Amino acid sequence: MIYLTMIARVVDGLPLAASIQEDEQSLRDLQQYQSQAKQLCRKLNAHSPDRCTLEAGDMNFHYLIAQGMCYLCLCEDSFPKKMAFAYLEDLSNEFYDQYGRKAHAATRPYSFIEFDTYIQKTKKTYVDSRARRALGSINTELQDVQRIMVANIEEVLQRGEALSAIDTRASNLSTLSKKYRSNASYLNTRSTYAKVAALAVFFITLIVYLRFWWL
Amino acid sequence: MSTAGFNSQNGTGPGQAYSNGPSQNPVAIQQLPGVSYGMTHQPPYNPMQAKAPVAPGPGLYHSGYPPVSSYQPGPQLASYSTPPGQPLLTRPQIAGPPLHTPPQSASPSPGPRMPLAQATPPPPAVSSSSYYSNLQQPQPNAQPWQYNPVPAPMGTPPPPNSMSSPPRGPVANHLNPPSSSTAPPPPPSSSTAYSLPQQAYGSHSVTQPPGPGIPPTSLHGYNQPGVAPPPMNPAVSLSYSMVRPTYGPPPTGPPLSGPPPTMKPTPATGPPLANVIPPPLKADGTIAGNGPQSSNSYNHVDNKMGGLPPPGPPGRHLSHYPSLPPGYQNTAAPHKPTAPVHPAMQAAPQPYSQANQPYQQPHSGPGQAQLSPSLAALSLQSSSPEALRVVNLLQDRNLLPPTSVPAPTPCLPHDLQKVNCSPEVFRCTLTSIPQTQSLLNKAKMPLGLLLHPFKDLSQLPVVTSSTIVRCRSCRTYINPFVSFLDQRKWTCNLCYRVNDVPEEFMYNPVSRSYGEPHKRPEVQNATIEFIASSEYMLRPPQPAVYLFILDVSHNAVETGYLNVFCQSLLDNINALPGDSRTKIGFITFDSTIHFYNLQEGLSQPQMLIVSDIEDIFLPTPDSLLVNLNECKELVQDLLKSLPTLFEKTMETQSALGSALQAAFKLLSPTGGRMSVFQTQLPNLGVGALQSREDPNQRASAKDIQHLSPATDFYKKLALDCSGQHIAVDLFLLSSRYCDLASLGCISRYSAGSVHYYPSYHQQHNPAQVERFQKDLKRYLTRKIGFEAVMRIRCTKGLSIHTFHGNFFVRSTDLLSLPNVNPDAGFAVQMSIEENLNDMQVVSFQAALLYTSSKGERRIRVHTLCLPVVNSLSDIFAGADMQAMTGLLACMAVDRSVSASLSDARDALTNAAIDSLSSYRHSVLTIQQPGLLSPACLRLFPLYVLALLKQKAFRTGTSTRLDERVFAMCQLKYQPLAYAMLMIHPALYRIDDLTDEGALNINDRTIPQPRVLQLSAENLSTEAAFLMDAGTVMYLRVGKNCNPIFLNQVLGVPSYAAVPDNLYLLPELDTAESQRTRAFIGWLKDQRPFFPTLHVIRDESQLKPSFMQNLIEDRTESALSYYEFLLHLQQQISK
Repeated sequence: MIYLTMIARVVDGLPLAASIQEDEQSLRDLQQYQSQAKQLCRKLNAHSPDRCTLEAGDMNFHYLIAQGMCYLCLCEDSFPKKMAFAYLEDLSNEFYDQYGRKAHAATRPYSFIEFDTYIQKTKKTYVDSRARRALGSINTELQDVQRIMVANIEEVLQRGEALSAIDTRASNLSTLSKKYRSNASYLNTRSTYAKVAALAVFFITLIVYLRFWWL
Repeated sequence: MSTAGFNSQNGTGPGQAYSNGPSQNPVAIQQLPGVSYGMTHQPPYNPMQAKAPVAPGPGLYHSGYPPVSSYQPGPQLASYSTPPGQPLLTRPQIAGPPLHTPPQSASPSPGPRMPLAQATPPPPAVSSSSYYSNLQQPQPNAQPWQYNPVPAPMGTPPPPNSMSSPPRGPVANHLNPPSSSTAPPPPPSSSTAYSLPQQAYGSHSVTQPPGPGIPPTSLHGYNQPGVAPPPMNPAVSLSYSMVRPTYGPPPTGPPLSGPPPTMKPTPATGPPLANVIPPPLKADGTIAGNGPQSSNSYNHVDNKMGGLPPPGPPGRHLSHYPSLPPGYQNTAAPHKPTAPVHPAMQAAPQPYSQANQPYQQPHSGPGQAQLSPSLAALSLQSSSPEALRVVNLLQDRNLLPPTSVPAPTPCLPHDLQKVNCSPEVFRCTLTSIPQTQSLLNKAKMPLGLLLHPFKDLSQLPVVTSSTIVRCRSCRTYINPFVSFLDQRKWTCNLCYRVNDVPEEFMYNPVSRSYGEPHKRPEVQNATIEFIASSEYMLRPPQPAVYLFILDVSHNAVETGYLNVFCQSLLDNINALPGDSRTKIGFITFDSTIHFYNLQEGLSQPQMLIVSDIEDIFLPTPDSLLVNLNECKELVQDLLKSLPTLFEKTMETQSALGSALQAAFKLLSPTGGRMSVFQTQLPNLGVGALQSREDPNQRASAKDIQHLSPATDFYKKLALDCSGQHIAVDLFLLSSRYCDLASLGCISRYSAGSVHYYPSYHQQHNPAQVERFQKDLKRYLTRKIGFEAVMRIRCTKGLSIHTFHGNFFVRSTDLLSLPNVNPDAGFAVQMSIEENLNDMQVVSFQAALLYTSSKGERRIRVHTLCLPVVNSLSDIFAGADMQAMTGLLACMAVDRSVSASLSDARDALTNAAIDSLSSYRHSVLTIQQPGLLSPACLRLFPLYVLALLKQKAFRTGTSTRLDERVFAMCQLKYQPLAYAMLMIHPALYRIDDLTDEGALNINDRTIPQPRVLQLSAENLSTEAAFLMDAGTVMYLRVGKNCNPIFLNQVLGVPSYAAVPDNLYLLPELDTAESQRTRAFIGWLKDQRPFFPTLHVIRDESQLKPSFMQNLIEDRTESALSYYEFLLHLQQQISK
């Protein structure tokens, strides 16, 4: 089952078209997934892998980057990966045919929302199990799915955050150690002073003793 | 569930769309608890409080502060008034020192506040004593006010009725040809500083003025050398949508004569150059909105720059004024020299341009303090002579203006007023806002706003920009009334926070220049539309989804509405607003629910019948709502066969509740519009209703029962719908009682609309059929906005507490509007929470975020700016009697539902008594006998009487409960212009139409007969009269009517031959017929709904309803106008 499909521009993450599965049960968590999808599109850049599957709980995000556009869909994890990428491939071809150059000039979010109709139709053919079997036989040699990178959506979204967390921790550590060093040197000097003072007192007493009692 | 949807709808990103800061929006705090349904909660003071006539309690707008006798209506104001007859040329923003209103900055200035301190907390005396102390005998012949044929108020806008003309009347958004392109010569007596006229006029932004003894002043040190570029051709339409690519000079575009604008300050050399100012860039290009559906050109011409007074020698001017508080001198004082104090300068033609405003605005932080005296001067000078002219209502009978009543113009400086929001969109009951709540209580007039936010506008600037500039704390959209401190900073006019100007905003796509944020269209237009960025969408914009729910029971088939509906939809199926994603679906119901499978590929529509109405389910969820473009043939097939499908049905029951539940299930994934056609009382399954009306009690009942819903099923369902962005529009076609009070909830809380066609029948009532047909056409093809929310913000200190209209109040001030349509009006009531001492103007902003039918997310923003006054006479001078009537009607509807109809009627009467008695006792210094009213309120008692005789509130006359409830719905939901016709119909004599004074629109000559008083004494048997009551028009033919009229217009030989049910004027080829039809057609064109026309004779059945509209006459149960006035007078002088 494909719950969510989104097409966004990679450069700035501007969403260009989207389609949501419209039935009541799936609506509940979809909000959260939608915002994840939006964030994801914003995180992507030219260096991101072309095809990737991201695990998000019992759902998977699959995305494909082609011609500067990111095609993203959200499926159950039981949905065959091969099928998902075939679907995205299909979308990317059609989208490029229909909008091609225009997509790079778009300024308004969801400028090509009308592509939704095509998305929904395509989705139906891929989701329908009977049609799927037929498609599957055609697309056996489609791609080597194994090579597609798998990652966790949380990791991708929070990769930056984790790094910054480590960074803050490291800097905390360094400041703490600096403090420790200064404290230690302070203690050292203090103990040195104490020793010197004790010696001084001893010698003074000695001198006084020698001066008054010895003589 | 859905709450989450709405909350996060308001933005998840950094640019949170509608989320206010926790404490920034005053409304959010001051909102009463338990507001959630918006309609019922009471304001802290209740203006609609009934005052028992016997024991006068506290007044209407009274919350405990008695009127203060020591109040003086600011004598110092008079000293600033310019001689009458002069154009409003003074530059009021900077015209005077902060005399009686200190600026909003924190430094206290004790002097000015003194009078206010007296005004606020006097010991709470018994309020009623002050109203009824002054007993006066009515003396009918006391003071012979000579008849005064109602001169037009100042600044008369074009007749508000003319929808075909650009409706933005006073908002100067049109071309101003004479003054737009050439800079007028400097005023003759300008003292200094004009040595460089080409560069220096309009100057005040002096960079480091070398004047003696002046602290370094200008906060904004930007100067632009060069000559103003010539105005662009207004026809050039440049669409500005992109983020500006580079900052250089404009890439192409009209030539800028002179050096390109740069940010470099002019080297100030020598005294003359010290006053160099930025030249006004003429920004009169045409912006084509690049939205595909409303590409409204935005003709933007202004720049009457010549009017700017030059900066005189500062020192001299400083001596003119009382010394400023030290805190202000730094910024304010040096600017003051520009104050137009020279008489010669005032005499010079110095129109203010809106383009100047941003230059002036750097003052308006502290400098705003200087506004007030001049504002006051303005009000004294211009509006008081007319608006406050005392009218003795008992003497002057003929007070109706010859055409419709224009909206009063707020007393604002010309340059602010020029960009102000059109009164057709945004209107306030008091165009001068009182400074304190106690002052408002003393004035005893309702304070509120009336909005028509989604009105069809003939031109609307549309801005596409990646950043929408908003205040960071209160989220106000940038608007013409903000002030720019310098190029990089602007002060919010609602919360006074200083914000940064984003880099992108520095580029002006209109003039294609850089560094002029104040010339952006956002800052030049009070009504503007933004294309929203993706932060404003929680989900992808929904497609246009239309679901029709049709009653097909025996009763419904009998009325024959299905034919009309199917035919209308077939005719307009290509005109439904939408794009290639538009979806459509149908459900019919009687005692069972019928679905229609319209999936692509079927050869004909499949009907699926679900008889289990207790637990409704959708048989095939994904093929009931289909893409209109792909399945158009199937839809057309269905529409053609539908009327015949149920011809023989004998099913009489109606399971409306279940059908609505099914429709809710069908629409909830996407949202959309549900159109329900119902012809009888639902009597099966959930939501079944019982007849509650006793026809015998209609006239005699002491009080009207059953105005509130019988069950909360419809309300609950409506709230569910609202959460899923579904609006329900109800079409009620019934001759019998349908309990509209209960059914109407489904539309009210889901922001739908209610249409009612009493006694609809295809044969017996052809007029109703035609009306239904025309209304349906408009309904199907009008603009629509989906998943909308609206928020109304106002300046800190004011708070909005009650909303009227059809919507659901989601949070304290966020109206959830699943659909918004151009015929919906809204009203809000306001109170003054904190004194507005520091302010000269207050602003109101309504922002409507919606998804257009093309799937674009858009924000339409309206901003209204109004002056603050501190004297009662100024408040009265700014009263808008029509807006007050409209607001009172809304309040009275609430009142009659929550309390009782008689309560509401008493409250209405008291509203008239209170305002007039307050005027008499607090404003008038000389007590004259008679019922005195200021000219601006002269029709208010008449309107109140009209309300009392309106269907919604009348008693003693047989009124069907549904019609009464429908009238109440209309009063709350209609925009003011249409509601006023319902309240006070217009009467014209039309048998002697001439071309004299006729309008000429599109080569059609439209005669303009005078509006007559609604009294039988104006009717003569020799003439024919047209009464226009909004949804219905009556053409009454007198018994001895001019045979020429009968012959040439009605096409009948004699009076006796006038047919009984004539509802169409024959198209005769005579001058009289053409004139009459042109006039009636013009009246019809001015409203979105279709009025039926009835030609009636003395014997006609409809004559009583015609006569009931003669408001000034006595009926068996209601007072005549004169008696009503006498009653008012008696109460006032008690």
